[in-house]
Amino acid sequence: MDLIQITKAAVGHLTPEILLLIGGTLVMCASVLTGKPLRQDLHTERNNFAVASLLCLLAAMAVRYWQGVPTVSDEDIGLFRFDASALAAERLTFLGGLILILMSWSTAPKGRLAEYYGCLLIILAAIPIVGASNDLVSMFLGLELVSIPTYILLGIVKSDNSGAEATLKYFLLSAFASCFFLLGISYLYGFCGSTNLSVIQGSFGEGKRLMALGLLLAICGLSFRITAVPFHFYAPDVFEGTSVTMAGAMSYLPKVAGFVALIRLIGAGTLSPGASAVVIPVLLGCAALTMCVGNLLALAQNNLRRMMAYSSVAHTGYLLLAFVALIRQDASPGVMFSYLAAYAAMTLGLFACLGEIEAAGGKSHLIGDLAGMFQRRPAASIGLTVALISLIGLPFTAGFWAKFMVFVGTVADRRVDSISMLMGALMAINAVIAAGYYWRILSTIYSKSESNVPLRVFRPSLFFAYTICTVLTILWFFVPSAM
Amino acid sequence: MSILIPLLILVPLACALVIFFSGPRAKAMAPFGILAAGLTLLLSIGLCFEVYQTPSKLTGVPGTIEPTIEPKVTFISESLRFVLPISVGGQPIDWQLSYGADGISALMVLLTGIVGFFTVWLAHSQIKTRTETYIALLLVTISMLMGVFLAMDLLSFYIFFEAVLIPLILLIHGWGDGKNPQAASKRFLLFTLAGSIPMVVGLISLAMSPLANGQPSTVAFSELSKIASQTVASGIPIGTKDTWAVWLLLLGFGIKLAILPLHTWLPMTYAAAHPNTTSLVASVVAKLGLYGILRIVIPLTPEALSIEAQMIIGTLGAIVIVYGALVALAKDNLREVLAFSSLSHVGFITLGLMSLTREGLGGAALQMFNHGLITAAMFWILSMLEQRHGPISLKSEDRGLAAQYPKLAVLLVFFTLAGAGLPGLNGFVGELLTMSGMMRVCATLVAIAVLGTVLGAWYGLRIVQRLLFGSDGPRLHAHHRPLTGADLSVNEWVPLVTVAILCLYIGLFPMRTMKLFQPDTDRLARVVEPVSKQVHRDMDTLAVQPTNP
Repeated sequence: MDLIQITKAAVGHLTPEILLLIGGTLVMCASVLTGKPLRQDLHTERNNFAVASLLCLLAAMAVRYWQGVPTVSDEDIGLFRFDASALAAERLTFLGGLILILMSWSTAPKGRLAEYYGCLLIILAAIPIVGASNDLVSMFLGLELVSIPTYILLGIVKSDNSGAEATLKYFLLSAFASCFFLLGISYLYGFCGSTNLSVIQGSFGEGKRLMALGLLLAICGLSFRITAVPFHFYAPDVFEGTSVTMAGAMSYLPKVAGFVALIRLIGAGTLSPGASAVVIPVLLGCAALTMCVGNLLALAQNNLRRMMAYSSVAHTGYLLLAFVALIRQDASPGVMFSYLAAYAAMTLGLFACLGEIEAAGGKSHLIGDLAGMFQRRPAASIGLTVALISLIGLPFTAGFWAKFMVFVGTVADRRVDSISMLMGALMAINAVIAAGYYWRILSTIYSKSESNVPLRVFRPSLFFAYTICTVLTILWFFVPSAM
Repeated sequence: MSILIPLLILVPLACALVIFFSGPRAKAMAPFGILAAGLTLLLSIGLCFEVYQTPSKLTGVPGTIEPTIEPKVTFISESLRFVLPISVGGQPIDWQLSYGADGISALMVLLTGIVGFFTVWLAHSQIKTRTETYIALLLVTISMLMGVFLAMDLLSFYIFFEAVLIPLILLIHGWGDGKNPQAASKRFLLFTLAGSIPMVVGLISLAMSPLANGQPSTVAFSELSKIASQTVASGIPIGTKDTWAVWLLLLGFGIKLAILPLHTWLPMTYAAAHPNTTSLVASVVAKLGLYGILRIVIPLTPEALSIEAQMIIGTLGAIVIVYGALVALAKDNLREVLAFSSLSHVGFITLGLMSLTREGLGGAALQMFNHGLITAAMFWILSMLEQRHGPISLKSEDRGLAAQYPKLAVLLVFFTLAGAGLPGLNGFVGELLTMSGMMRVCATLVAIAVLGTVLGAWYGLRIVQRLLFGSDGPRLHAHHRPLTGADLSVNEWVPLVTVAILCLYIGLFPMRTMKLFQPDTDRLARVVEPVSKQVHRDMDTLAVQPTNP
């Protein structure tokens, strides 16, 4: 097959993403096409946009379902490659997208619904593109297609000072990170003479210094997306300065994009001993720092959003450990995808519960605001409880397997050297620290408080969102192979 | 295949769920909870009989390599095969979970059944707020405990071991009536996790250890213990293998059994939780650490244990006996006195386990059961007293309760003497066996431990004297509160008397009880004694070689 045919086939396989992109664009134009201002009340408008986006997503899922698993021969030379990782990334994105659209149903900013849903759909289309990319160009394209709508989303959901701060911070730092990434991949291109990732991975064994430098710069660029220390500084401010739903999206979607890009860039067992001698210590150090900084700073927070931001940083640390296990030995990328799936269920579930509490008139800014929530809002409190138990990593939740599998991946490395043992122990210590602050939230929910006014406003969409998350969190414990 | 095993785990769990989801009718569900716990007790007795009657399939011929853990009653189902979506080193993680019971498990299941049933029974009258939720959480705890004792692979063991935490922290946090139950539950959670999360690293490395011989990784106790026996028999010199994993395991189990520097969660939790909760925690949950050592550390890593940790943990056990007893003497709050006395008695079991001898292991297994019964009874009595008088302090309450509550007084004296190790009662047999086991390895530790029995009698009698037969001098009238509350009702003395009869029975006929589990501990001792002997060369060689009856 020549390049044209392969590209044609790739386009065929990208149908769900193309569908989403078209859908996103149409939704964004909807307010213009139908004539402004829409002669509808806010309620109907919300329903229309949410249903339209949901239909787009479901259509994309249906196409992927009926298209089946793609089989592309000569997959190494095209722009895209459709393997298990690509499909897993797509599945993770669609899962997150489904929950996020449900969460947005009643929380999307009024007056900007078209832009909001349009951007969300485009992000959902972009992450699978990153996941399927087999070329630096398509990968960069995908990553930017995630970033640019994110700027817009952050800008429109909240228009006060903290919102502006969050947007500006994210925009500047993200642009900065993209520069790092570009510089890194330009080195890679300069060294290999090709932008094709298969070619680049094939020549990892040849050059030592320059190759490693290029890789490290690219990893730096991606570290921003996954909020790895020391590129995490924006996270607490952004989480605090945006809506609950966007905070949920920010904790999950960029992480998926960043990690699938990392998996694409450095595949399992592709690094030569020379390159891995440089890259692995950096990644391990980064993982250790990320875990410790994330958890210790989360311990000090009273603000729930900032705490969740640092908790998201800490989870990046665990995921980086899984990533090291992946590139150092032939552990399958399944470890990371399962972790991300579990993380989606528990974190998005938690934010959905917080969203429902806010939508019902309660506050969820500080931890103390949740005092007595079990009496005030039992359903959301049970959702929170399951999410938090899962975040701690106790049994009967998906979080247990997530941590367990990272431990398996890390400790099995012990045949290689004793550092991974230490990393396992460090992660164990971190998991205990994390249990401390998650328990603080749990304990507050069940404590007694003076204001025992029940919150009665019911938002079905948010309720469905966290019910899905809770059910998945518990179900995945019993069927971990489905994660 | 025995249906009893899934039933033991699922019956209490299902009944708890029924109570949780019964909505507005929940208030009337408490008797249903008692019924469920009673059914669980019957099932556990049935399991004991089945284990008792099933003959061992192992040959027991010296020289053959056999697993040291042999579940006599098993439940293995293809549907319990866990395939994790990962692979390590090209090998998929595909672990078969199995459940089963040998003598030791059956004994612990019976203990859980008895203590669980009577705790639920007493909770019905002792817990005043949200009784049905409390009982449901107790049932969940019982179910998880059954899971730990019936697990025959590392993974299910660990899952249930961790899961016990969830209902317990809710029980302590929600129904604790001592000082600051919130802080106590947090400390309980963090301490336990601080042990159990590093422990998972050790467990995984155990499960991965067959990979070194080119075999697929496994979690089944019987296979892993067979590999351990092979390694022992292969005669590879001790000290050439890495032994760090044993420390991670001991950290996890050590925190659960409150070994000395890691014990601070225990008095705090016992003082904060409702005595009804504490009775289950002290008698069964605190045994999880000991059971874990007996089930995982000793059979699966005998060499690493005897090289690295045997004497250290043994010494800590001996120290904790004396330390616990001394603190119990100094404390006045009866909850704390009982907490430290429990700490002290657990030290004897640790000592027995760490002797790695036939007597020590058998005695430790028996003493786990004995101590569970005695502690539970003591906390039930405490709970009955508190129901009548509020917090019990030994300092101000010298008012001769014996005159007021004669039945309670008799039972309190009985259980105090059982705990102190009076010959003829069950505590004596267990402690004697554990000490004679340790005697063969290190006499100094036994000399320290013996102090604990003297001190144990001292603080036991102090409780009895202060509480039951206190002076009737002028302070009696100064502090005299009106005599409230009647003597024990039928509801209250039936559990106590039942347990007392059991204590007496074990004390009089210990061999009948030990028949249940002695084949298992003996089989274990046959493998680990030589290992221990290799490390401790001056260990007594006069003992009869253990034989399989």
